Amino acid sequence: MKKLIFTLTLFLMSTALSFAQCDAEAYSSKCLKALAPGFTFVKSYKVDGKNGIRKVIEYTCVFSKDTNYMIRMAGKDGGAQGMIVTLYDSQRNELATSHVNNKFFPGWTYKCKATGIYYLSFSFKDSQSYCGAAVLGFRR
Amino acid sequence: MKKSHWIFTLALVFLFACDSSSEDDGKDNTDTGQNNNTTTQGEVGPDIIADILQSIPSPLEISQLIKEVSTEYNVANLNDHNNVNNYKSSFSQSLNLGVYSTDLGYCNLYNKNQDILNYLNSVKKLANDLGIGQYFDYETIKRLANSKDNLDSLLNMTQSNFERINNHLKDEKREYQSILILAGGWVEAVHLTTIVYRQTKDQVGKGGADVAKTQEKLAKLKEKIGEQKLTLEQILLVLDIYKTRQYFGGLIEDLKQLQKVYARVEITVIQKPPIIKEEGGELVVKDVTESKVNISDQDLEAITSLIQSIRSKIVTSTMSNAGN
Repeated sequence: MKKLIFTLTLFLMSTALSFAQCDAEAYSSKCLKALAPGFTFVKSYKVDGKNGIRKVIEYTCVFSKDTNYMIRMAGKDGGAQGMIVTLYDSQRNELATSHVNNKFFPGWTYKCKATGIYYLSFSFKDSQSYCGAAVLGFRR
Repeated sequence: MKKSHWIFTLALVFLFACDSSSEDDGKDNTDTGQNNNTTTQGEVGPDIIADILQSIPSPLEISQLIKEVSTEYNVANLNDHNNVNNYKSSFSQSLNLGVYSTDLGYCNLYNKNQDILNYLNSVKKLANDLGIGQYFDYETIKRLANSKDNLDSLLNMTQSNFERINNHLKDEKREYQSILILAGGWVEAVHLTTIVYRQTKDQVGKGGADVAKTQEKLAKLKEKIGEQKLTLEQILLVLDIYKTRQYFGGLIEDLKQLQKVYARVEITVIQKPPIIKEEGGELVVKDVTESKVNISDQDLEAITSLIQSIRSKIVTSTMSNAGN
């Protein structure tokens, strides 16, 4: 019995360890391939919800006027399933979100008309893995 | 089972029950506009530094505008790739790695293969000198540069390589070098924009050019220069953290002089809700906000002069032999 408990404990720990890692680079590469032609890579973002502990991961960015920005996500659940990216302006007004009419879009394209500080906010809905990445591209 | 086995098992359970991650890549949105990363008396946590570094836009965005408004490519506007041998200290190497990354992006946009290779070699040398050359996929980029059909791939590969370098610097707690690379790249990009502005303005004076079109180009360039107020603020936020490091003071002081001029630049925004459409299965969000950048000709001249002075210090022996 004691041996069984010991073995079970080791098994659970190894399982926990494997779930603790979120390998974002593989998903970044998928996102990069999904950028539409003509869009140039700008930045990649790791979206690691730490198995559900972190509900929202936010990044600050500077967007420029007369520039189109495309964001593409990919995650462990397959495609952009379970992941949402929302864009806020400097006043925290919501400008764009990738979860519309109960559908998960892989991202959005934002045609910026005002240079300024913006916030990219990644969150999860019905996610199994809480793990993924996103890539931002631009085109004038 | 022996008592020691139980103690070992319990110790392992407690160890893995805790959150084992020690690194955050963003910040939790639990407090709007606030964060929990300020430590004591102005010390700024690594998450905040990472967030600000991540927010600084790529100089390629500026270079694309230059290409859009200016059809002429001029390698003389770039930092001579042979200057790479003049940079002996990690301070100047980091700054000029940024400078050359902007120059490389510029050559990429115009598909100037030989110049691409020259600047690629300069980037490779400096990256090697800084101990980060292994994160730059030189061979793949060189192969793409030799093929005229792969401009998108070339640009993306180059940009993602620079990001990989910055990620590695972050992992090694060398963010002070990341910000130098970003600062150098930014100064070079703004410098190029001011040169193109002057050259475009000269075209109006000489006549023969489509005046209306040229005025439109000038307006775009002037606006782009004025918008850099925001990026400069972000750069100085991080540089200031390292102000006690040797030789950072001079660069910070110069950029703060520039910031004083930018303080007079006004960016006004009239916000309106965006228009969201689904087009071909894609979400497209059209911003209808109106924004305007007010920058006087006098301030533009002052910015041009200061940027050229800072850039000159970076690429010549004045700043290049400083630092260790």
